[in-house]
Amino acid sequence: MLTSPAAAPPLAPAPGPRRGRTTLVIAAAVVLLVAVVGASLLLGVRTIAPGQVWAALTNHDPSSADQQVVLQLRVPRTVLGLTAGVALGCVGTVIQGVARNPIADPGLLGITPGASLAVVVAVSFLGVTSPLGFVWFAFLGSALASVVVFSIGRAQPVRLALVGAALTAFVTPVIALLLLRDTQAFDQYRFWAVGSLTGRGLDAVAALWPFLVVGVVLTAVLAPRLTLLAMGDDVAASLGQDVRVTRGLAAAAIVVLAGTATALAGPIALVGLVVPHAARRLVGSDYRRLTPVAALLGPVILLGADVVGRLVVPNSELEAGVVAAFVGAPVLVAVARGKTVVGV
Amino acid sequence: MAVLTSTNVLVATGRAARRRRQALVVGVAVVAIVALGTLGLTLGAAGVSPGRALAAVFGTGDPVDVFVIQRLRLPRVGAAVLAGAAFALAGALFQSTLRNPLASPDILGVSTGASLGAVWALLVLGVSGVAVAAWAFGGALAAAAAIWLLAWRRGLHSIRFVLVGVGISYVCGAVLSWLLARAEVRDAQAALLWTIGSVADVRGTSLTILAAGTLGLGAVATVLAPSQAPLALGDDHAASLGVRVQVARGGALVVAVGLVAVATSAAGPVAFVALVSPAIARRLLDDGGADLTASAVIGALLVLAADLLGQHALGTLTVPAGVVTGLVGAPYLLWLLSGRADRKVAVE
Repeated sequence: MLTSPAAAPPLAPAPGPRRGRTTLVIAAAVVLLVAVVGASLLLGVRTIAPGQVWAALTNHDPSSADQQVVLQLRVPRTVLGLTAGVALGCVGTVIQGVARNPIADPGLLGITPGASLAVVVAVSFLGVTSPLGFVWFAFLGSALASVVVFSIGRAQPVRLALVGAALTAFVTPVIALLLLRDTQAFDQYRFWAVGSLTGRGLDAVAALWPFLVVGVVLTAVLAPRLTLLAMGDDVAASLGQDVRVTRGLAAAAIVVLAGTATALAGPIALVGLVVPHAARRLVGSDYRRLTPVAALLGPVILLGADVVGRLVVPNSELEAGVVAAFVGAPVLVAVARGKTVVGV
Repeated sequence: MAVLTSTNVLVATGRAARRRRQALVVGVAVVAIVALGTLGLTLGAAGVSPGRALAAVFGTGDPVDVFVIQRLRLPRVGAAVLAGAAFALAGALFQSTLRNPLASPDILGVSTGASLGAVWALLVLGVSGVAVAAWAFGGALAAAAAIWLLAWRRGLHSIRFVLVGVGISYVCGAVLSWLLARAEVRDAQAALLWTIGSVADVRGTSLTILAAGTLGLGAVATVLAPSQAPLALGDDHAASLGVRVQVARGGALVVAVGLVAVATSAAGPVAFVALVSPAIARRLLDDGGADLTASAVIGALLVLAADLLGQHALGTLTVPAGVVTGLVGAPYLLWLLSGRADRKVAVE
């Protein structure tokens, strides 16, 4: 017999680590996040002395070009990375919890493709060219796609996944068709489609932060409910949970969080998928511990990818979307290769 | 004793009903393929009646007809049927052996690897024709090998393979969109066209390779099929039934990857045929199990119909089959999914 019990990954939730460990992980994640934020302000294609960065933040001198770079470029992309990263970490966790599928993420559920279609329509029919213009279309597209997926998928796990895949299947060729017929629109779209933290400023964050707040609050409310839901609809219901309410709240959270993330950073691959898995490895599958860790790791990975992207190519930058895939993939592989693959 | 006997009778009638249903689904699909294939031979700028088209298939009749049918239309119909069957078969194998209804080459990175190979060849190396197909083939195999190596840990387990596959798919996708954003916009558009998938230009050697690969690997899949069904019960149950789980899964995955590589290098990654066809087959058979034959004929029918629609339905505008498969297949899948309970969608 080829499968010994040791070789088969147990799919039951791993025994939860003690409270002390969760506190430790959260503290470490906070330290990591502060370090990444610092790196994001200090590092870039242009070498700027730490003193100048500090001066720009505390005692701004408008005549200094270095300080202008910090305030006009580095601060906005740092704030953008934080906001979009938190949104991605939370949305991935909620999606995997409600879809109970370890590969569920905004891309696979058709939400990001929905945003992409909205952006393509905006560029090619409405003549929108400014990145701030894309923000609202991306938000609207993700929201509409989430509504379609959840109303047909009814938040039932397998059904949700298939509806998301079907929506992607429908939207992707429409996008391709529109882009093949309109070279100018393609030229605009292809830069958005890579996913990056540049080009959108603080005005985009100012417009969208209320959605992030709503999404994070909903995620916090959902956490204990998702823990019970992981044991199955029947168990959750027998413990007094109205499963339909949980799914409704989850759908609402996904609409606002996926919308915020995609509107701010474009279609960022892998972060929403990998963060909940990494968090699950660190603190177990209880969503009350999982969610705060995921909310911290999301910006660590996204902003970290952005910083790496500024450094790897001399005198140039790689977009955060590309780097995030290369940062996220090894994490995902490590999680997948773990001794126990913790199921969702 | 009496109880046992009646259970056996029930199981036997259930099996017979399933076989009848499967025969019906496959039969109807084959009839539809023949009908649409004939239609595909007759439609076009030079109208050819069905009778003359059939004669031309066998090389008799008007020389112009023979040229149009044998050189242009028959290869296209054949390519649609073969590529559709290959993708659908690969999807059915992935989904059953990995026990995930989303497991398909589109999502596991095998198709994305092929696309990346082709786009790399087109945009960075600047080659065309057979070289692009070769790069696509290599891309699919390289992506599959990467998933295999990275997911291997004392055997190959479904969840590891699926997770790593999704990761590889996203990495390939990120590099692909980066390449598209860096290239000259017209070149990038041509590369984008390749990633949609089309059966318009599959003829000659590439059609022969597609036919040989699909039929050969399809035959292997049929031989492997009996060892696949127990995998749906879970690794431990399958092992307790005497199935060598790792061998059965490995064999199915090798065949599936081979099918995807062959079909993608010929026709491009015709979108979502692999994902949608087994799902449609499961729905039509109505018993939760994926069926290789039914999936294959449905995939062939889907791509053939998509290509005909793309060629003729929009008047002067022609669109590649890869655009239409998603536009037609997705709403059909949604319609099948709407109004039924979740348990029937389950693969397990």
